[in-house]
Amino acid sequence: MARKWTRIGFAGPGAAIIALVIMAGMTLWVPRGTAGIDNLVLPLVLAPLIWAGLFFHACLDARLGRVAGVALGLLALHTALLAHQFLDRPSPATSASEAHE
Amino acid sequence: MIHLPKDETKLMVAIHGWSGILLGLVLYAVVITGMAAVFAEEIGAWSAGHVETRSAFQRPIDRSLRQLAARTPREFQDDVDIFEIGDHNLGVFFHRHEIAPNGELINRGVYYQLDREGRVADEQHGTGKEVFGPRNDDALSSFLVDTHVRLHVPDPWGLLLTGIMGLAMLTAALSGLLIHRHLFKDIFTLRRKASPVLVDRDRHSVAGTWSLPFAFVLAFTGSFFSFFGTVGVPIVAMAAFGGDQQAFSEAVFGHPGTPDPRSQPIGNLDRIAADAIGRTGAPPTFMTIEHFGRADSAVTTFHSPKSGDIEPVTLVYHGATATFDRTKPLIGSRPSAGGTLAAIMAPLHFGNFAGMLSKAVWFSLGFAMCYVTLTGIRLWLARRRERQRSLDWLERAVTVVGFGLPLALLVAAAAFLLSMPLGSAVFWTPAAFLAASGAAILAGIMVPTHALLARMLQISIGVLLMALPIVRLAGGGPGWPAAIAAGQPATMALDFAMLLGGTWTLWHMLAHRRRPGPTDDPALQYAE
Repeated sequence: MARKWTRIGFAGPGAAIIALVIMAGMTLWVPRGTAGIDNLVLPLVLAPLIWAGLFFHACLDARLGRVAGVALGLLALHTALLAHQFLDRPSPATSASEAHE
Repeated sequence: MIHLPKDETKLMVAIHGWSGILLGLVLYAVVITGMAAVFAEEIGAWSAGHVETRSAFQRPIDRSLRQLAARTPREFQDDVDIFEIGDHNLGVFFHRHEIAPNGELINRGVYYQLDREGRVADEQHGTGKEVFGPRNDDALSSFLVDTHVRLHVPDPWGLLLTGIMGLAMLTAALSGLLIHRHLFKDIFTLRRKASPVLVDRDRHSVAGTWSLPFAFVLAFTGSFFSFFGTVGVPIVAMAAFGGDQQAFSEAVFGHPGTPDPRSQPIGNLDRIAADAIGRTGAPPTFMTIEHFGRADSAVTTFHSPKSGDIEPVTLVYHGATATFDRTKPLIGSRPSAGGTLAAIMAPLHFGNFAGMLSKAVWFSLGFAMCYVTLTGIRLWLARRRERQRSLDWLERAVTVVGFGLPLALLVAAAAFLLSMPLGSAVFWTPAAFLAASGAAILAGIMVPTHALLARMLQISIGVLLMALPIVRLAGGGPGWPAAIAAGQPATMALDFAMLLGGTWTLWHMLAHRRRPGPTDDPALQYAE
């Protein structure tokens, strides 16, 4: 029973949340392309397909461990990318003081 | 052929069924209004009696725009959007960009609606959301589009709801594909002499399989549009620009270049419009001026895809000198994979890339999707009925929505035709829709038998379809000779389609009544 609900969790709210995090994280690793916008536009376009991929994988893969591994792995990878981006970004106060100097 | 293991196939059948049952009726509402919205432009011209065929951009606009600029507060003259409204008249929105308290990028300014002579017919101040409401002469087409886009639920919830419907449709389409053990055989299998359940199953399967690629495309593009502004842009802007949606907009839609804020009047817009028409062979569908009144102003004209192409055409002009700058992609400053993919989402969703032909195909496949949705729900119900589980309330709900919704849309169209000459169509179009929906729901509760309910609703649909062209003509709409003479064959085509549809519906009901056996409608036959 617990396995069933775990699977439902990955197919339902899990797929939606992880798809959103992947969409955000993709902006940091997708090549910018000739126009410099591919990293901004492709995640937006592909988001429904990413969700569908996570949803059907959670439904169809017989090995629940693999479902969890793929989903949580993608989540961790993109969360780490985003965390690095936010920690690396100068705060507005720092930027203002640097500009003043 | 797709071979899933037995357990996975059972799971896919369950997902296919439950996605349809839980969201099918709302999805049906989105698809049927989308099907009608494919012809929103033609329905707008038909219902309002428009006979002008020349674009507003083929008439002089420069002088009107300068007069408007002279009366518009300078604070709203950052950018100007110019587009067609009503019977090829001009709408002009002088505005500036603002960030709302919730971080959303909004436009605030003055919206002018001009009449045929270029005089100001209406002037409204506010944000884009506040000023771009339905007008008396486009209340019907606006109502259709708004129902399809957000089901009249306030933003962002309406868009999120239709986005979820898109994902449900994506799920139903993909799971429908996965449960076919013999895909190519199923496409051509229609066992007419089999049991009613199998006959219905075959019809559902054939209609669903043929329209599967279309369902996938519509679901994908539809959910993209619904989630784009509500969820997608804020999240991507957060990740890439620390939440600055203005920066996102500049990066994706803006024109890179060195700012030159010196004051300089805009060049001749008539010259730009004529040049754009000469280059693309078609008038712009939209024109926008960035940095109005500055030396670095840029005018962008947007055009429908050229014949044989699917990507819209976008031209950029130097605003101050009214000289051609370059052809650019719709999204981004240079061609790119992401820009091209995003640019073709709209033509793929609206089906307007090959004129009336592609629109007719999109309409037909939309009809097939409605059929597949309703027959799918009925098959699901039939299976449960075989197991002695009564779900009469759901069967009635399916009939009320399946037939009541198109009936309510037709009543809204009749109300529009009657109230538009009185200037009150903006109120009466949705009011009549709500009243007709309420009446259909009441009939669903009160009418003693299910078959009688279905018959009543279908006869009403047939009668209304036949009556609408007459109501249109009685309300002063142009006759067929006048419409053809003015180059508006769509008016006649829509009249003809309605008369044909009404005749077929009524004939179908009469023919079915004469036939012995179950009295339900074969078009949406119960699998019993």
